[in-house]
Amino acid sequence: MSGIYVHVPFCKSKCTYCDFASYPREISKADIYFACLYKEIKGRAESLKDYVFDTVYLGGGTPSFVDEKYIVGIIRQIKNYYTLTDDCEITVEINPETISEEKVKAYKKAGINRFSVGLQSADDKMLAKLNRIHNREDFLLATKLLKGENLSVDVMLGLENQTSQDVKDTIDLAIDGGASHISAYALKAEEGTPMFGKYLNGDLPSEDETAELYDFARNYLEENGFNRYEVSNFAKDGFKSRHNLNYWNRGEYIGFGVSASSFIKERRFTNTEKIDEYTACILRGVVAEIFSENIEGDEREFEYIMLSLRKDEGFLFSDFKERFGTDFTQKYADRIKLVKKYVEIDENGIRIKPEYIYVQNTIIIYFMD
Amino acid sequence: MAVEKKENLRNFCIVAHIDHGKSTLADRIMEFTGQVAERDMEDQLLDSMDLERERGITIKLTPVRMSYTAKDGKEYIFNLIDTPGHVDFTYEVSRSLAACEGAILIVDATQGIEAQTLANCYLALDNNLEIVPVINKIDLISARPDETAKEIEDVIGLDGSSAPRVSAKNGINIDQVLEKIVELVPPPEGDDEAPLKALIFDSYYDNFKGVICFVRIVDGTVSAGMRIKTFMGEKQFDVTEVGTFNPGLLPKKTLSAGEVGYIAASIKSIEDIAVGDTITTSSNPAPDPLPGYKKVQPVVFSGIYPLDGSKFNDLKEALLKLKLNDASLTFEPDNSAALGFGFRCGFLGLLHMEIIQERIEREFDIDIITTAPSVSYHIYKTDGEMIVVDNPSRFPDVSYIDYAEEPVITANIFTPPDYVGAIMELCQEKRGVFTDMTYLDANRVRLNYTLPLNEIIFDFFDGLKSRTRGYASFDYELAGYEKSSLVKLDMLLNGEICDALSLIVHKDKAYPRGRALAERLKNVIPRQLFEIPIQAAVGGKVIARETVKAMRKDVLAKCYGGDITRKRKLLEKQKEGKKKMRQLGSVEVPSEAFMSILKIDSDSN
Repeated sequence: MSGIYVHVPFCKSKCTYCDFASYPREISKADIYFACLYKEIKGRAESLKDYVFDTVYLGGGTPSFVDEKYIVGIIRQIKNYYTLTDDCEITVEINPETISEEKVKAYKKAGINRFSVGLQSADDKMLAKLNRIHNREDFLLATKLLKGENLSVDVMLGLENQTSQDVKDTIDLAIDGGASHISAYALKAEEGTPMFGKYLNGDLPSEDETAELYDFARNYLEENGFNRYEVSNFAKDGFKSRHNLNYWNRGEYIGFGVSASSFIKERRFTNTEKIDEYTACILRGVVAEIFSENIEGDEREFEYIMLSLRKDEGFLFSDFKERFGTDFTQKYADRIKLVKKYVEIDENGIRIKPEYIYVQNTIIIYFMD
Repeated sequence: MAVEKKENLRNFCIVAHIDHGKSTLADRIMEFTGQVAERDMEDQLLDSMDLERERGITIKLTPVRMSYTAKDGKEYIFNLIDTPGHVDFTYEVSRSLAACEGAILIVDATQGIEAQTLANCYLALDNNLEIVPVINKIDLISARPDETAKEIEDVIGLDGSSAPRVSAKNGINIDQVLEKIVELVPPPEGDDEAPLKALIFDSYYDNFKGVICFVRIVDGTVSAGMRIKTFMGEKQFDVTEVGTFNPGLLPKKTLSAGEVGYIAASIKSIEDIAVGDTITTSSNPAPDPLPGYKKVQPVVFSGIYPLDGSKFNDLKEALLKLKLNDASLTFEPDNSAALGFGFRCGFLGLLHMEIIQERIEREFDIDIITTAPSVSYHIYKTDGEMIVVDNPSRFPDVSYIDYAEEPVITANIFTPPDYVGAIMELCQEKRGVFTDMTYLDANRVRLNYTLPLNEIIFDFFDGLKSRTRGYASFDYELAGYEKSSLVKLDMLLNGEICDALSLIVHKDKAYPRGRALAERLKNVIPRQLFEIPIQAAVGGKVIARETVKAMRKDVLAKCYGGDITRKRKLLEKQKEGKKKMRQLGSVEVPSEAFMSILKIDSDSN
């Protein structure tokens, strides 16, 4: 199965850690942007007519910030031109401060069946420091509107002065709000963001402290019935994110909108981040790609290893053989020997030991070229 | 060439303390004689290696031929051979001196005579060269030309009053220097009719012409088509080209006695030519060779290993090529449990070692690991045998050692009086023994110390510079061996001895150095998936311990909306970093760790 990603590059204000394509001052371009987005969706349809999609994800930016008509329009356009499965997972990202009863109603009517809410922290002071527009109260209101829905909540680890008690409060709040899926991402200070200054000043927790918070979160989530299925993702039984799993299974996906990445027929390509450049391309009838590469030979295998080992379950040798026609344990015997201590391996498959999943880059690198 | 008469030929070199303006004066002389159009001038033309320009030093000698019409109306041919100034390259200096009749001695008018001024001047006098003193940098406000002239008389015993006072930088009074060369430097002697005797004073490998030999023709003539041989080699070669330097190669029909030039003879193998050897003809050979040079012995030794073990042969090729024009470099195959196959190399000093390292990496594009430098020790075993050990891994077990000796040097240090205390303190720390102190004038003192060489190679020079704000200068001479208490300091990573990190040290230095080294390694070894104990041990007894904690987190939390490429590139970058590391047992060690031993003193002091 394959996925569809749609990028909504608008938000009310920029969070201090954000380096995504998101532009609070460009909302006036919404009309032209969505018109182009619809055109791009339509334009790719012919080449993807043989594909069946079982997940659609609307990310951003803040999709819930823009008028619901645009979101409804996206879903309609996709349904018009693409084949979706009956049980297709359709997710929209939401900021608690921007949601309303009308929006939820419209989303549900359009077919959206999964809501990913950016909570990040239960502490209003921390939220204010991140320049988040919402507070704890907004989150409670939002979850009331979304009661009974398939709800995922994002929380952040490694915030300034964050303690495990803070993490516990945040997780408790997410659970109280009805979350069945929780993503716990470690803050990464990207160059060019205000957060990077804090990082340089040494105001942020060290890698070790963040790792402590992560260990705490993992244990606490598991106590509460959320099982880790990927580095940063935890779900109650039956609530894993189909969309994210598709990435980690090295499935195919098409991305629409600025900065969206795609992976189709062993080609990875990414659209421009700039709204004006994007609309100019689409209006001229050309693709807005600024990057494209074909993944060949062993690189495919490496990608699969790199992505699959992010998952708690790792991967099955039979799946590897089916995809690449090679026997993993034979071809990578010498590498496996080097990482033996850090993985669990049996005759069926390989996974990284849970205690090492947070240092998996070092392990994965052994499988590179 | 209009003038080819021997009495109009002048072969000379320039010697000076480092930074006194040697290369700049050479450039000015070339400019003045019209050898190089001003627009083609690159600063410091003779320093052709990138490395030389970057560091502002001369490493290799580069000859150049010029013509000059003197005030007496006659035209003269000048052969100028630039020389290095650093103490490590005394050998190179002595080679160029053998090709000359005269030497310009530059003295900086702001600094006066420094340690290497003296060392190089004595070297020139030993070679019976006529010395032409020149006072440089007179354009600077702080210049003291009168005092400098007096110093030349007092310290060296040359006539300083008639020394040209110049500014090489601004081209002032360069003509006076040229006139002095004509006046003071004698023309070469030599018999064109005698059998050929040509002294090889340098060489390099050219991809098209084979080995290019830099020669001084002492007797006879040489031209293309002649069959030649050397005294030390077996093979014979047909001369394909002879010529002079302008400063590139400029072919010429014949080189005759007294001239400086080059010979190419399709010599394919670097080993066929030895610098210092004499070339003669096959048909009418000279009865005996020229004296050649005093062969220098390397004093600093270290292991050089390819980072990528499969590059061993490339490294060998690179060393062979470097040796072709750097006869002082020695090497022999070596292997280390930690680093695999490599070479044990001998150098003239630390700078020389650094230069060779950088040339291997730049000119031959081979990533290498260099182990900490060592000197060569004499170990007298209980069975009466004496062994020479320059490699810590060959250091015998203490129970077999009767006693040991280490090489010592006599150091000549020039400094303003204000820093005498600081220098004495430094020499004390370095186990130095004071021998003498002389006030040259109110502003300058000469200190003499005897110091163990192995203390000099551990950043003595840096220490001297920093404690005297760069005002002190230093030169040394080897002064034999002295009895010493030596031990082998081992470093253990994750419980295993890493032979590439072992050191031979004085007993009293073992503990502080072991502790400093353990600390330093802790800082350069990146965290890995497991905890790594670092231990320093002497004779199996652990004297210091540090720990590199296990890594806790390196994962990229978010996968950026399917931007897999970004993640893969991050991993590729990490992989590149990993490639620069060396696997020692289970531990990955970055290549700089092996050199970190060098830096510990500056950190701990």
